[in-house]
Amino acid sequence: MPRDDRPEKGGYRKYFPPKKKFCRFCQRNVRGIDYKAFEILKKYIPDRGKISPRRITGTCAFHQRKLSMAIKRARLMALLPYLED
Amino acid sequence: MSQYETGFIVSSHLAEDETTNLIQQLAEVVAQKKGRLIKQDVWGKRRLAYTIKRQNEGVYVFFTYEGGGDIPQELERRFKQIDTVIRYLTVRKDARDLVRRKKKARPGAEAPPAEGAGTPAGEAREEK
Repeated sequence: MPRDDRPEKGGYRKYFPPKKKFCRFCQRNVRGIDYKAFEILKKYIPDRGKISPRRITGTCAFHQRKLSMAIKRARLMALLPYLED
Repeated sequence: MSQYETGFIVSSHLAEDETTNLIQQLAEVVAQKKGRLIKQDVWGKRRLAYTIKRQNEGVYVFFTYEGGGDIPQELERRFKQIDTVIRYLTVRKDARDLVRRKKKARPGAEAPPAEGAGTPAGEAREEK
C-alpha cells in the first residue's frame, strides 16, 4: 500500500470533517434577542423542547445568555412549549 | 423614565368587542399614569403552546410604553383582578438595546436586521 493512500488519522473525521460553527447572532450584529421572535428561538429547541447547548449551535456566550432568557420568557407566554413529546 | 413592554394573553372565550373594550381600558391606564404608549400590538387569536386554565387559544396583546414604574404595577394589579387575562409578562427594555449599534464592516454578514431581534419573518428569512 503506497504511503499516500494510507489514511492519516481516524476514518470518520477524515471523510466528514466537522463544519465550522459560528454565532448566528454575532454574524448579523444583533444585540438583544426578543422573546416575541419565537420563530428564531424555535431553531434552538430541537425535538424535546430543550435549549441546545453552545457546543452544538456555536452561539457565543453573550448571545447564549440572551437566547436562554428569551426562550424562557417565550415559554412563560406559551409561545414555546416547556416540554414536547 | 424607562421603557417597558407588557404582553398579555386574553381568553379566547371573550367576545370580540369585549376584547377590544378590555384592550382599550388597559391602554387608558397608561395614559392616566402619564405614560406614553409607544406601540400597541395585537397579534390576534393564536394557539397556545400548552394548556393554561383549560384553554388552548388566546389573544396576544403587547403594549410598549414609556413612563414610571407605577404603570406596570397598576397594569399587573388589574391583570390579577381580570379573570379573562390568562397570562402576562412585563419586560423592561434595556436602553442599550434601543440604541442602534454601529454596523461593523464585515464581509460575511450583509444587511443585518434593522434593530435588535426584529420581526420573526425578518430574521427567519436569512437563517438557512
